[in-house]
Amino acid sequence: MDKINIDNMLAIEEPFIKVPLEQLRRAVRHTQKQVERETEAVSAEMAEILKSQYRLAPEELQSKLDGLIERLQTLRQDLERVTQEESQLIQRSKLRAADLHKLKGFESTTQPEFQHWCRQRLDRVLIDYMLRSGNLNTAQRLVESGSLEHFADTSLFAQVMSIESELKDAHSCQGALSWCAENRGALRKIQCSLEFELRLQEYVEMIRAKNTPAAILYAKKHLSPWSDTQMPRIQRAMTLLAFSPSTSCPPYKAMFDEARWTGLANEFRMVIFQLYNLPAQPLLHLLLQTGLSALKTFACLSEDPAEHNRNCPVCQTETLGKLAQDLPLSHHDNSNLVCRITGEKMDEDNPPMRLPNGYVYSLSSLTEMSATLDGKVKCPRSGKTFKLSEATKLFIS
Amino acid sequence: MDTLIRNCEKLSKHQNSSSTKTLLSITQAIEALQTARNNISSGSTPNTDDLVQAKQQVEKAQRQSDEHIRELYTNVSKYGKHVEKAFKLDLSTVGESKAFEDKRDQLGYAILQHFLREGDFILAGEFARENKLDLPQDTKIKFEQMYEIVSKIRAEQHQLEDAIQWTVERREELDIQGNNGLEFTLHRLRFLQLVENGQATDALEYARLWFPRYSKDPGRMDEIKHLMGIFIYAKRLQSSPYAHLFTDQRWEQGARMFAAAFCASMGLAAMSPLGVTIDAGASALPVVCKVSGLMRDRKVEWSQQNELAVEVPLPDSMHFHSVFVCPVSKEQATPDNPPMAMPCGHVVCKASLEKLAHGVRPGTVAFGRFKCPYCPVMSSMADAKKVYF
Repeated sequence: MDKINIDNMLAIEEPFIKVPLEQLRRAVRHTQKQVERETEAVSAEMAEILKSQYRLAPEELQSKLDGLIERLQTLRQDLERVTQEESQLIQRSKLRAADLHKLKGFESTTQPEFQHWCRQRLDRVLIDYMLRSGNLNTAQRLVESGSLEHFADTSLFAQVMSIESELKDAHSCQGALSWCAENRGALRKIQCSLEFELRLQEYVEMIRAKNTPAAILYAKKHLSPWSDTQMPRIQRAMTLLAFSPSTSCPPYKAMFDEARWTGLANEFRMVIFQLYNLPAQPLLHLLLQTGLSALKTFACLSEDPAEHNRNCPVCQTETLGKLAQDLPLSHHDNSNLVCRITGEKMDEDNPPMRLPNGYVYSLSSLTEMSATLDGKVKCPRSGKTFKLSEATKLFIS
Repeated sequence: MDTLIRNCEKLSKHQNSSSTKTLLSITQAIEALQTARNNISSGSTPNTDDLVQAKQQVEKAQRQSDEHIRELYTNVSKYGKHVEKAFKLDLSTVGESKAFEDKRDQLGYAILQHFLREGDFILAGEFARENKLDLPQDTKIKFEQMYEIVSKIRAEQHQLEDAIQWTVERREELDIQGNNGLEFTLHRLRFLQLVENGQATDALEYARLWFPRYSKDPGRMDEIKHLMGIFIYAKRLQSSPYAHLFTDQRWEQGARMFAAAFCASMGLAAMSPLGVTIDAGASALPVVCKVSGLMRDRKVEWSQQNELAVEVPLPDSMHFHSVFVCPVSKEQATPDNPPMAMPCGHVVCKASLEKLAHGVRPGTVAFGRFKCPYCPVMSSMADAKKVYF
């Protein structure tokens, strides 16, 4: 069946459309908070100035006003920049929606335009995979050669990787914490405790640096707000004060473990992906796994190389075949017969014909062969020759 | 999707107007502050009016920008609702499958092969470097050979000689593989190219040289007869009935056809296996997702099963192996349960055959003989013959 199932095609493109939307939402939120904060501050200062205007020397007054002017000018500059970003994100959303809209114009899977669209989709999936794995040069080249700048989420992944490396390499929670502060509302909605984990880690580091008073103050300020959901862990954290970093007591040793930083980086990645509607596993994995399963048959598993079809991806034993090893076989409710000689479908229009030795080929391929072999046919698998008239027609339901 | 496109355009307009207005009110506040500041001369009393004016402008900026940005956020949310409506599938139900654990290298090589096949050797090298994989030299050389010829087809001058020479050299091999359409396609491209360039005499000579070998093939001859009529329109091809033969895509299609034949002759798959799998996955993933949601309730993971729970409909081009499903038991044939043909030509699997045979009471004349489920013809276990698809 060569018709295109548009609903299915669109279903897997959810991240494609949702990512710029989320980025836009956050940009507007950020602007909102910034504008609110700055205008409120300037407004309050103005009120103060009006109250005390007679007590201030002219130069003082001038310099205060200068300060406010500068603040608003900076705000305006920031706004101009963010406006550009917002407008680009909307443009990007439109371009992506337009790309998916093209699917409505295709009639069959054999159309070259549709095949071109599929190749572009493959490139998009590969770019996502490269960005996730940190293969930035490969990703960049793929983006450039396909002119796919608007279809790749390069800036988002750059942000993810910068915070991750800060956690993993620099052992600093700064970037991650400010990200959490910016996205507190969304994090609360998904009941995420990443911020608590980060605060906990900073607390542990203070203990490690033997700065006990600071650690206690920190716990009071940053850990106690989480007491209704994280009490047991807070209690264990407070108990940590009694242990030294070189302790071998299991739960406390684990808390001092440097590997926790990698754990934090991984958790951050999971959370930010969730917020932006990106699947936890790369789309490449999901598509390959389900695709390989849908293609896998008993013949692909056979030890006999004659059973393998050169064109079948699962029969590529060294690469995709190995990946398909542990995956389920495809399910079929109905028979689907393929001629070994031409690769074409065998059905009522081109029925399967059984040679006396049991091997089956399509009527069209046997007829064509007999035209060149003087009424005879040669079975490619066994090498035996028969008369065309010896082939019997088979009926599959 | 067109709803989304329209909504994007609306959103774009909103965002534009909202940001213009916000910037304007802030500018006005700045100006008022500047006026107040500039009117302060040393020694005199401060100008209260200016300061009051400035404060009012600041408050106005605060109110207005808050209003505009809120409105923008509402519009973004509205767009968001349209997006929600367009996507109802939850990809997260297709959970973590362990199938690719410890197989990172195999996946890397699969991707590397794909890059080589697509002809981007720099990309392949870069990917290999970033993942510490060895670039398979023999595969690389084969594909480099292919790309030498293919890039000539794709280039501006569209040179076909190398491709035609390669094809003619392997005429017999291609005939056996059923790939003999390639030679004709290339000849046709060259013929049309000569006509397009105004070299009518050369085109005619080319036709005389290459087309006669198709004289025994009635289908091709019809096409050739049709093509030969092009000489009447030689000077005005674009407005002739032959205009559709001169699309830009014809070079890409010719290149792809050549690449497929080249790969076949090298024993490689005609189309990129990675590409085929991803396209199959695009059909399979939504199907598995829908089912996965149901399986999750019973704590059953899709990838741990022996077989997928549902059939994934795939186009004919992706059926690489014969699959026989017994019409009686609805089970797939396996090496232990092969398909068997009864004398009438109907095929059922061995297990079903055995059930049919044993259904008859032993000791009767009819023992071991049964009627085919689909026609009146009688059969027995001995009469049924194995079938190898």
